[in-house]
Amino acid sequence: MILNKQKVAALLDHLSGARDVFVPATVDGVAKFARYGEGVQPDFGMVNTTMPPKDLLFPQTQKMYHFDVDANGSYRIHEYDESREQVVFGIRPCDMRSIVCMDEVFLTKGFVDEFYANARDKLLTVCVGCAQAAETCFCDSMGVDPQMAPNADVMLQDCGDAYLVLAQTEKGEAEVAEWSAFTEEADAQPVTCDLTLKVDMEGVVDKLEGMYDAPIWDNLSIKCLNCGTCTYVCPTCHCFDISQDMRRKDGIRFRCWDSCMFSEYTMMAGGHNPRPEKLERVRNRFMHKLNFFERRYGMSLCVGCGRCVEKCPVALDITRLIDEIGAYDA
Amino acid sequence: MSVVENNGAVPENWEPKIIAFCCHWCTYTGADLAGLNRMNYPANVRVLRIPCSGRMNPQYVIEALNKGCDGVLVCGCHPGDCHYVTGNYYARRRMLIFKRLLEYEGLEPDRFQVRWISGAEAGKFRDTVMSVVEQVRALGPLNLTREIPQFELPRVPDDEGAFDAVPEEVTA
Amino acid sequence: MTAQDIIRTRAKELLESGEVATFIGWEAGRFENQTTPLVITDAADADKLVFNEYCVNTLAKYVRDVIPRGKVGLVVRGCDSRGIIRLVADKVIKREDVYLIGVGCPGIKDRKTGEMLKKCAECRHNNPPEFDEMAGEVAEKPVAVERFAEVAEVEAMAQPDRSRYFESVYAKCIRCYACRDVCPCCTCRECFVDQRRENWVGKQNNVAENRFYGLTRVMHIGDRCIECGECERVCPMDLPLMKLNRKVIQDMNDLFGEFESSLSLEDTTEPLIEYRLDDVEEFM
Repeated sequence: MILNKQKVAALLDHLSGARDVFVPATVDGVAKFARYGEGVQPDFGMVNTTMPPKDLLFPQTQKMYHFDVDANGSYRIHEYDESREQVVFGIRPCDMRSIVCMDEVFLTKGFVDEFYANARDKLLTVCVGCAQAAETCFCDSMGVDPQMAPNADVMLQDCGDAYLVLAQTEKGEAEVAEWSAFTEEADAQPVTCDLTLKVDMEGVVDKLEGMYDAPIWDNLSIKCLNCGTCTYVCPTCHCFDISQDMRRKDGIRFRCWDSCMFSEYTMMAGGHNPRPEKLERVRNRFMHKLNFFERRYGMSLCVGCGRCVEKCPVALDITRLIDEIGAYDA
Repeated sequence: MSVVENNGAVPENWEPKIIAFCCHWCTYTGADLAGLNRMNYPANVRVLRIPCSGRMNPQYVIEALNKGCDGVLVCGCHPGDCHYVTGNYYARRRMLIFKRLLEYEGLEPDRFQVRWISGAEAGKFRDTVMSVVEQVRALGPLNLTREIPQFELPRVPDDEGAFDAVPEEVTA
Repeated sequence: MTAQDIIRTRAKELLESGEVATFIGWEAGRFENQTTPLVITDAADADKLVFNEYCVNTLAKYVRDVIPRGKVGLVVRGCDSRGIIRLVADKVIKREDVYLIGVGCPGIKDRKTGEMLKKCAECRHNNPPEFDEMAGEVAEKPVAVERFAEVAEVEAMAQPDRSRYFESVYAKCIRCYACRDVCPCCTCRECFVDQRRENWVGKQNNVAENRFYGLTRVMHIGDRCIECGECERVCPMDLPLMKLNRKVIQDMNDLFGEFESSLSLEDTTEPLIEYRLDDVEEFM
């Protein structure tokens, strides 16, 4: 089954009738997944948005509950559930892989995050394969196929003028069955996508085990600014902080993105900071991406989207680090 | 900073909420004197005492506006009269710059005002407060993104109403 | 010899002689025309140093971090040099802690478009005002665009439009604090945003909190800003931060007399920590 690219707009109009549809678009100068509607021009040729789609499942600020005191002096709590039916249309295979990582974190090992689970259940993912790559893309080196995302509900493989439609889950099949007005029964050959940036992950995970005190961390961290750009544009960074804002006797409790690059992130109540300097923070970030997560969940936390490579103010490049780790000789 | 699109959508019984940061040595004393002299002025103003206008941190202003005030008044001793000799000279420079910055970002000039009021100027304090209240009332509520969203649970009865009551003879 | 050759030679000599413990410059990045800051301690690494028209990063802020390792040598253009003057004036470092190799800056280009960066098109001082030796010739003085042109643009907008404009600016901010971390004026040991116990600014990302951060940042650095434009360049959301910085600078120029921050070690005017008895009076 194929979907002609010219019919995508009509399909989006159809989808956005009942649900919020998010598409890659540049709004106000920022490339992100924006709600489809007036003034939002979807751009499926854009290889990667500046902001990842993770905020659809894990918003930068998420209200958890509202609390206040009733006339008898006892606390009342009202929980928020702002999850709604959402469709993300045009998510890329690297970002789909990031959702696998987030699913592992928020839904497995005996911990289920209700906010995430609710949003995840109500999310329909329509993944669009990549016909071309940006210079910073290296997803195939991280085990992602730029034309295939196995966990997407619907996979649209780019075939030039049309997309080859693959319904991959029950939800996806039910969805695609409704698209008959827009699709045609035909076959097409997906174009291949060549990535110029390659890294060799062979042996990197194991090698990192013995590299906790290696000098490369110092060389690397010395130029880091310790800003949070890489963590906020990263599709898999999922650390958050829980805090509250109060006015008189009522207030809200919320959680918001946090960044391991900030000095305050690991600050403990007694004033001790186990990661006091840049070196420890930078090491932790890359160790988490390339080693800790792999050990716990059996997959890399870096999906090769290239956003941090593109956006880092000092061009601190994870692909160069991976090369350096590969070349490191203790 | 404030989107002036109230379009007449001013809530019924709305009263401007104004915070006045007053220097301990002059204006706060002046306000005290106004009270001793039984001067009437609108209860829309909540007076906060600061040690010196030089202590006035621009962050207090932003915080006040963010937290729900419709206007901010900063008062200190007349230049030359500072208890700490030079505090209000620094404040003057800082507030000149800060006021322009806020206006640049779109705050109406009347919502942030600075005045020098001495301990003897009870009348000036009253007049200033009355004029600020009326100016802000004319502007309507400040529509800002607040930190705590309005919530539909019934309000908790507490002493809050006491502040909102404005004597009729003042508003008339 | 090109400036790059001189830099390499001198860096090698300085490190070998032990005159400096570390040397800061730029090296080539992975991609075409990309550079990245480089901190070296070994003279053998000096050949990695590059200097070309794509060296986007200013280096002054790094000195603060590497100074515990000993005297620092670094390459300075106008902006780097003024950053150093700023750090010295703020007593973060001492002048004798750094050895400055000055270069005239031709203006830096965007590695993708090849056009001159906005911050360099606005530059007024491309040659270093403070240096120990010059590598190569001084560059021609750039023809800077009108210093406060973009401020005037915003000022020309009607008040509700300005309000909406800045609301949209703050709505985009993700509070990564890159603007703070790159700024040679932001040298507090602990930034107010990191002081969670005091809770100056809430952690929610919304217009109110972002505005609180943005305005405070401007008030903190406004009278010391060296107008290097790095905050604006590093912003991943492309927020027009120099429109805020320059607004404050323009007002201080108008109200307290012409000044330009950090042009020499002798004159480190900071209008907001000074006063005059006959300052403009608007608050009577």
